Amino acid sequence: MRLITLEKRMSPIPMAGMVIPVISIALALLAGGVFLALSGKNPLEIYFTLFQSAFGSSYGFSETVVKAIPLALCALGVSLAFRVQLWNIGAEGQFYMGAMAATWVALTYPEGSRWVVLPAMFLAAAMAGGLWGLLPAIPRAFWKVNETITTLMLNYIAIFWVDFLIYGPWKDPNGYNFPLTAPFELGATLPSFGTSRVHYGLILALIAALLVYIILKYTVWGYQLKVVGESQRAAKYAGMSIVKTILLVMLISGALAGIAGMTEVAGITQRLQQGLSPGYGYSAIIIAWLARLNPWAILLVSFLFGGLLSGGFSLQSMGLPAASVYMLQGLILFFILGGEIFNSYRLKWIGGRS
Amino acid sequence: MMKMKKLFGLAAMLVVMALVVAGCGGGQTPASTDKKEDAPKEGTGEKLKVAYIYVGPVGDAGWTYAHDQGRQYLEKELPNIETSFVESVPETPADAERVLTDLVNKGNKVIFATSFGYMDSVLKVAKKYPDVIFLHCSGYKTDKNVGTYFGRMYQPRFLSGMAAGKQTKSNTIGFVAAMPIPEVVWGINSFTLGVKSVNPTAKVKVVWTNTWYDPAKEKDAAKSLLDAGADVIAMHQDTPGPMQAAEEKGAFSVGYNTDMRQFAPKAVLTGPVWNWGPYYVNTVKAVIDGTWKSEQYFGSMADGIIDLAPYGDMVSEDVRKLVDEKKQAILDGKFEVFAGPIKDQSGAVKVPEGKTMTDEEVLNMMWFVEGVDGSIPKK
Amino acid sequence: MGINDILVEMKGITKAFPGVLANDQVNLTVRAGEIHALLGENGAGKSTLMSILTGLYRYDQGELAVHGKKVNFNSPRDAIAEGIGMVHQHFKLVSTFTVTENVAMGSDSWGAILKLDQIEKKLAAFSMEYGLQIDPKAKVWQLSIGEQQRVEIVKLLFRGADILILDEPTAVLTPQEANDLYIVLRKMADEGKGVIVITHKMQEVIEHADMVTVMRGGKSVATVPKDYTDETELARLMVGRELDLVHKIETGAPGEVILQLQEITAVSDRGHKALKDVNLIVRAGEIMGIAGVAGNGQRELAEVITGLRPISAGQITINKVDMTNRQPLDIIKAGVAHIPEDRHNTGLVPNLDAYENILLKHYLDKDFRKGPFILWSALSQYTQTLINKFDIKLSVPEAPVKAMSGGNLQKLLLAREISMEPNLIIAVYPVRGLDIGAIQAVRGLLMEARREGKGVLLISEELDELFLLADRLAVLHEGELMGVLEVEKTDIEEVGLMMAGKKGVKGCA
Repeated sequence: MRLITLEKRMSPIPMAGMVIPVISIALALLAGGVFLALSGKNPLEIYFTLFQSAFGSSYGFSETVVKAIPLALCALGVSLAFRVQLWNIGAEGQFYMGAMAATWVALTYPEGSRWVVLPAMFLAAAMAGGLWGLLPAIPRAFWKVNETITTLMLNYIAIFWVDFLIYGPWKDPNGYNFPLTAPFELGATLPSFGTSRVHYGLILALIAALLVYIILKYTVWGYQLKVVGESQRAAKYAGMSIVKTILLVMLISGALAGIAGMTEVAGITQRLQQGLSPGYGYSAIIIAWLARLNPWAILLVSFLFGGLLSGGFSLQSMGLPAASVYMLQGLILFFILGGEIFNSYRLKWIGGRS
Repeated sequence: MMKMKKLFGLAAMLVVMALVVAGCGGGQTPASTDKKEDAPKEGTGEKLKVAYIYVGPVGDAGWTYAHDQGRQYLEKELPNIETSFVESVPETPADAERVLTDLVNKGNKVIFATSFGYMDSVLKVAKKYPDVIFLHCSGYKTDKNVGTYFGRMYQPRFLSGMAAGKQTKSNTIGFVAAMPIPEVVWGINSFTLGVKSVNPTAKVKVVWTNTWYDPAKEKDAAKSLLDAGADVIAMHQDTPGPMQAAEEKGAFSVGYNTDMRQFAPKAVLTGPVWNWGPYYVNTVKAVIDGTWKSEQYFGSMADGIIDLAPYGDMVSEDVRKLVDEKKQAILDGKFEVFAGPIKDQSGAVKVPEGKTMTDEEVLNMMWFVEGVDGSIPKK
Repeated sequence: MGINDILVEMKGITKAFPGVLANDQVNLTVRAGEIHALLGENGAGKSTLMSILTGLYRYDQGELAVHGKKVNFNSPRDAIAEGIGMVHQHFKLVSTFTVTENVAMGSDSWGAILKLDQIEKKLAAFSMEYGLQIDPKAKVWQLSIGEQQRVEIVKLLFRGADILILDEPTAVLTPQEANDLYIVLRKMADEGKGVIVITHKMQEVIEHADMVTVMRGGKSVATVPKDYTDETELARLMVGRELDLVHKIETGAPGEVILQLQEITAVSDRGHKALKDVNLIVRAGEIMGIAGVAGNGQRELAEVITGLRPISAGQITINKVDMTNRQPLDIIKAGVAHIPEDRHNTGLVPNLDAYENILLKHYLDKDFRKGPFILWSALSQYTQTLINKFDIKLSVPEAPVKAMSGGNLQKLLLAREISMEPNLIIAVYPVRGLDIGAIQAVRGLLMEARREGKGVLLISEELDELFLLADRLAVLHEGELMGVLEVEKTDIEEVGLMMAGKKGVKGCA
């Protein structure tokens, strides 16, 4: 017989948004600490290194920001779709499409000046990512085809398409057949701040967050998104077009992820290659959710997430194998996500049945 | 909102799973040779810090494992140094540049980057830190503080090809190849030349996996070759996956990187292996002595950086004798693998009688010799 | 069990929920071998009573005996153990599973899953015995609604139920399927099972039931053998509280035709005809009432007029303009206000605040937007005006409206709709679930709209409300208009009969 059960909370606990993540993180660190201690490491030292390398130095900080840029752009994109209950898990593919389109521009106009090439790359990436978002939106809007599956499947198509290009037509002629495109000319690279690798994609991410915020808070269209997301029946009743909303939202959602792809190729790798995204599009789903779709919170969570990812490798120099680092990262996520349930549920001791 | 929670759960699961899978791929724990505790505090009598970045986990039993053996050898041979490594580092600048920079910031003075894909990241970081010495394995770009190193793997590959050519009954030998880049291409060519030198009718069938480290995919590629009639499997991959496929089918195989007999005792004939240790010791010594200069090191069997693995029990005395004789000729400088005449797949003579390919030509080789059944993806 | 043995005996069953007495001293006796109809309007207490019988609720007072044993079930499991089974209106089937798999899942024992071929054999036996033809290997999604219902019945039989409850079983069936169903039910009764059918269709009761228990306002008002009653009596028993003496406070002054429906036919969500050849006119300055038992096409009627549901035949004219199958937005622009049945999720958005809910019908309004931006200040001013004018009580307008009481929610909705200056107001069950004060306020607002010369279409299930407010009355029964009556010249008897499916003498208007 079960002695403990989960019960729906009648009213959310005050400050739940703050308290629960903090407790979850504490528990995660505790559990991770036990695991580390068992493998003979000093947990405090490891955690300190993780924090230090992610946030503690100006270099670590800048590298965390570098990771946060694509995460934030993708998460802003999916957050818009989530708002209208469209489960776009295709940010990964939209990211790759954006990177591909930007690369096409970069390779086609190698002589162009930054002032022309970069905006063209930006537009191409937004359009390609948007198209990749729109594609599954059409069957969804007109025939109610489940977009979860279609967006996921399109990820594979995009990734393999990129593979095809870098193994084939776009392969660097001087690259000894290695699957890479030629490096971009200067005109196609995003400048970065000072000597760090933090590129101007940061500005794009900040602008995107601001725009999403303004759209949701001050515009009629943002209002329509809210209504469609809350109740499609009410939206229809009020004369709003669900079809148009779905198409437009997915277009913008995909475009944001596409822009993330552009900033990554133009700002970091400066060429198209395999493994461009270590799953930014998937992490974005978690980030959007943890941030409760709030654009400012998305920036913050992306930053923290970026720290978790970028800090991981430096733990290896503490003698922690890569496998343990992945496990530790997984553990921390597991607890934060697991803690989410206590926002709407609470534990209840039921004892034996009377 | 319910649906969203489910979806979120799914996404969370995917990410966590991805991390766990990545973790599992890591396999073994690295030997805890990092004597962090013993490291002297900054200032007096500092040990020289040497770091490695690896593309796979140290437990891959292949490429990365061989490098890590070399690292441990280095640490044993030179008392006044301290080594560390970071494994499973993706070949994208996003991560590679950060890890390299991080290692510099941790005080490392010599950094070995052990995969081709790190090339541009190494050069970029090296420019920022001119007082740190970078050594990039298998690349072709150097700088004042960047040297490259590699070995004439075609020598032991040729020898292993002889063993394979003697062993095959179906006269079809499979080759599981990672990437269509010169390093792999000349590997396949030298192997094929070895095969043909003892068995002119045999063919070497090539399958590309487009990955260095993916045990399952490599194994599948080997299976497809076995299904196509191959009875010996050779490979240019980082793991023993193809060896195991051959063992399961009762076929034979030629390993790579390390002595792979333990993974497929009934299958492995021999194989070209790396022995990085002596090179690492010499290089770091040169750094300590202040005699190090940027160079493109291309070591041979005579230098000891490469060798032929011990023979499996199934290799007959006659074959051993034959191969050993050839090995001695190579060591003595009496035999060149890429000496003419060599024909390409179309039968056209690429290297005329009396000529030998230069290093430059070998390192840029992008054509298959006669006897290879397969093609190099064109641009 | 022999024929005529008492299977279920409920005596003085009383069940109270906070604020509502759902069942008040209800008596019900069901015998083996009979089909027992449970007749009553929505909210008469039928569902509560059956929930007690199936173990979902415990009763507060009274006595329940099943198979002669006194019980007060703790859980549905207890009820199942006593041989009680229910077929709900919404089937509980896994559509991707086969019939056999569904039956196995419903059998409540894991072992059954392993014996699928045995179950298949048993299914064949059932179809022989009761004429329940189903292909055991068919996937449920491939089955028609009637066949799915048979699967539900078979699930109960398989569990060994001998007391079967069916909730509105014919609501989703074609007449032919309904007939077949009753043939099956009769066979089961003949086998000694007891069958309870919840319904509000008098025709069916007269044709197929043995006994009828009529419920009204939480009480069982009568139990009569079918042979000793007729539709007129049943209608009176069902609707028939003596009308409080209604003094019409005021009547309308009908003017121009605002809404005209000609030969409207429309299909429900489930795919059957919900409206059949409906003709109707609403004039300015009148309240047109629509009477009928809930579920006879009222919702579809409102949706068709407001553009939320396409029509398959006919024509809709609003202010002399053809508005057939136009988008909801066009209808709104044509000056049609809509107070929907579901005010919580259709008329209002519970998680949005009062401002945002007022904006729901004004987001395109030039007064409240400038370019793409919302003029929040203008909107909040306007909202405040409405809150004051309509005396809406809320803590702060910035709070999600779900925190508001039902009456204030409805006032907020009405305030928005009426202040749009519409020509026509479609009000669907506007007072359902409200308290007396709120009811009066809502009714007052509707009368005021009439005074201002607006046309009002009032769909209601409360006859006294219709008699109080409406100038004319139309009665819907199974999607057909039974007739249009002048309220002054009719009485509750006539309306009750028409609700039961008797065509009006006076024909359609």
